[in-house]
Amino acid sequence: MLTSVSGTRRLSGLRTGAAVAMSLAVLGFSGPQVNAQEIEFWSQDYGDLIAWQRTMEEFTDEFEAETGIKVNYEQVNWSVAFNRWLTAAQGGAAPDCADMFWLHSFSAIGGDQYGPMPITEYRDTWPTLEEDFYEGSLQDVNWSGDFYGIPWRGDVRPLIYRTDLAAEAGLEGPPETWDELVEYAKALTERDANGNVTRWGLALGPDNPSQSYVPLYWQAGGDFMTEDGRTATIDNEATRVALSFIRDLVWEHEVLSPDFMERGYSAEGDFLAGQLGMIASTPGPIPPQLAEDYPEMDGKWALGVPAAGPEGRDAYAGSGYFGVLRGTDNVEACVDWISFLSRPENMQRLSEASGNVSPMREVMASDYWSDTEWKEVINDTLEYAHTSQHPSPVWNALVSPEPGAVIYDMVYRAVIQQEDLDTVIAESQERMQAEMDRAFSD
Amino acid sequence: MERKRRWFCFFMVLPAILFTVVLGLIPMFTSLGWSFLEYDLMRVQEHGTPFVGLENYRTVLNDGRFLRSISNTFVMTGLVVVVAIALGLVLAHVMKAEYRGRAIVRVLICAPWFVPPVVAAAIWAWLLNADRSPINSALMDAGIIESNIRFLTDSSTWGPFSIPLLSVTAVRIWNGLPFIVIFILAGMQSIPRDLYEAVDVDGGNLWSKFRHVTLPLLRPILGVLIMLLLITGIGHFEINYIMTGGGPQDMTNVMAVYSYLQAFNFFRFDLASAAGGLILLITAAICFFYIRTQLRNEDR
Repeated sequence: MLTSVSGTRRLSGLRTGAAVAMSLAVLGFSGPQVNAQEIEFWSQDYGDLIAWQRTMEEFTDEFEAETGIKVNYEQVNWSVAFNRWLTAAQGGAAPDCADMFWLHSFSAIGGDQYGPMPITEYRDTWPTLEEDFYEGSLQDVNWSGDFYGIPWRGDVRPLIYRTDLAAEAGLEGPPETWDELVEYAKALTERDANGNVTRWGLALGPDNPSQSYVPLYWQAGGDFMTEDGRTATIDNEATRVALSFIRDLVWEHEVLSPDFMERGYSAEGDFLAGQLGMIASTPGPIPPQLAEDYPEMDGKWALGVPAAGPEGRDAYAGSGYFGVLRGTDNVEACVDWISFLSRPENMQRLSEASGNVSPMREVMASDYWSDTEWKEVINDTLEYAHTSQHPSPVWNALVSPEPGAVIYDMVYRAVIQQEDLDTVIAESQERMQAEMDRAFSD
Repeated sequence: MERKRRWFCFFMVLPAILFTVVLGLIPMFTSLGWSFLEYDLMRVQEHGTPFVGLENYRTVLNDGRFLRSISNTFVMTGLVVVVAIALGLVLAHVMKAEYRGRAIVRVLICAPWFVPPVVAAAIWAWLLNADRSPINSALMDAGIIESNIRFLTDSSTWGPFSIPLLSVTAVRIWNGLPFIVIFILAGMQSIPRDLYEAVDVDGGNLWSKFRHVTLPLLRPILGVLIMLLLITGIGHFEINYIMTGGGPQDMTNVMAVYSYLQAFNFFRFDLASAAGGLILLITAAICFFYIRTQLRNEDR
């Protein structure tokens, strides 16, 4: 009987304790951290959202089984990713480690308090980093002499064209040079009886006019800034060549829509609808998406290495990386987690699940990345990859796809409004320098 | 008893007050405070946020792009007020009249209200796309036009007006019209029927009824409506941002879009706050007149 009363009391005590604990949890009180082997990890979503979530959960389970460290995974939708990272870089809610981007800008915004955290002292965890990864991708994880993480996804941008429309026009293979690009675009452009264009021959990129300009400038031999990120270098012949080329595409050859810089312009939609023949620089996710989600497009498209300009054949490339956030107490656990994810077999799985190019050479040499023609072209394009990140924290403001951004305004004034090139370039150089001085001046 | 009643009333409005303070007033005054600081995200860690007085206001007021956005804001808001009220008066009569199929017409008039502005903007952006617009196709099939109208990208101007500005304004009117119609209809239904009968006795026609009965008696409601449209119009953001992003060539750029771009594209929270501060100032001036008019009416 006594035992029974005692048991009842103990049960009642447990219930009360549980109720208090639950109430505290609901009210947001957290007790002392009992288990330090628990980390919070955010990643943006890629490819098939459910498949991506499942892949990441498989990784977290495997990692916990191997190390005992529990990874609390949170998926961040791309539509809100920029604002969440901007908030995190200013002291808002942040995880311990994450899939990140725009290292240079967010590092500058967060300074030594918030945002991306250097993990230079852990760099030896990856002793063969230079041999294992493409050089351009490593530029995206280093800033001001510090090492911030491991690149895991690449966005290398080849040319894409409609093979069915090209065949109708008597064209074969992708254009190899700017001259051929013009020739192809002319052949692919169609007009109705009134002279209205029913199919444009060429788009520079899918939606971001500033990013679309960047590879053309490189192909003309230009660099946007000095290596220390302090001096703008756009008042040069390469800018004149690139802007003149685009201006001619619009007004002389009439193969590029004069609306290509406006908000509603959608090259991707036009391409799918057969109202556009070619996109000079197409983001990495588009080819796998076409292959997976548009079976009706089978055999109607192909990729090519971007056409060579007067000075080169550079392809726009960017990367995302796994890094650690300032303020975490779990740096070592995060490094272990990143190290786990960066194993070749896991990088392979990440690449396959996301559809993203891998910055790891071994993955790109795998069967998966050579089993179709378009994947082989992506591999070829990697040889011309030019990182889009620049050594100035204001770079992303400079190439913002909105009116008011230096590059956007320069292209708009030179191409759409056809203002005097020298004046536009000189004023843009001045504006760009003023913007870059924001980050370094006293 | 009276004290208890007061407490009860206080508790009833407390949640609304809390929401207004937390989600409205605190962000508003914080942002206003930022407009007097140097708050450049690229410099904030190194230089902090020093007080700069009115410097940010000077900077934005010397920016031709912002001045253009002020002009566009007033032109678009003015157009919305005039056209929406005029259409609202017509459609309120259509909704009030008795005829077969009135319910269907009422639903059709109210339909744009069911579409959130963000969705409406995306749909209209597609409908008005120069190369894909079904409106262009229909006009071309009917032989009315020979080349596509570039609704959102044509850069020809007539003074402050342009096709993109008129197109975006039209979408704003379309989306806000049901609210205006319902507002006016409610006012019209409160007008005593015998006043219209008196006009009939005097031999007046429809226009006389509208001019001498409807319009004078709707004046207080129209006053409120105009004030509300001015207040919401000055700070309008989403339809302009989604449809054109302020382009082409700033023809549809409004103050709120300018402010957003400064903060989230160019990392200048100080300039964005100064632009926001000017929106607040203009809106506050309108509110001041609105509240003063309301109080005067109550006194009468």
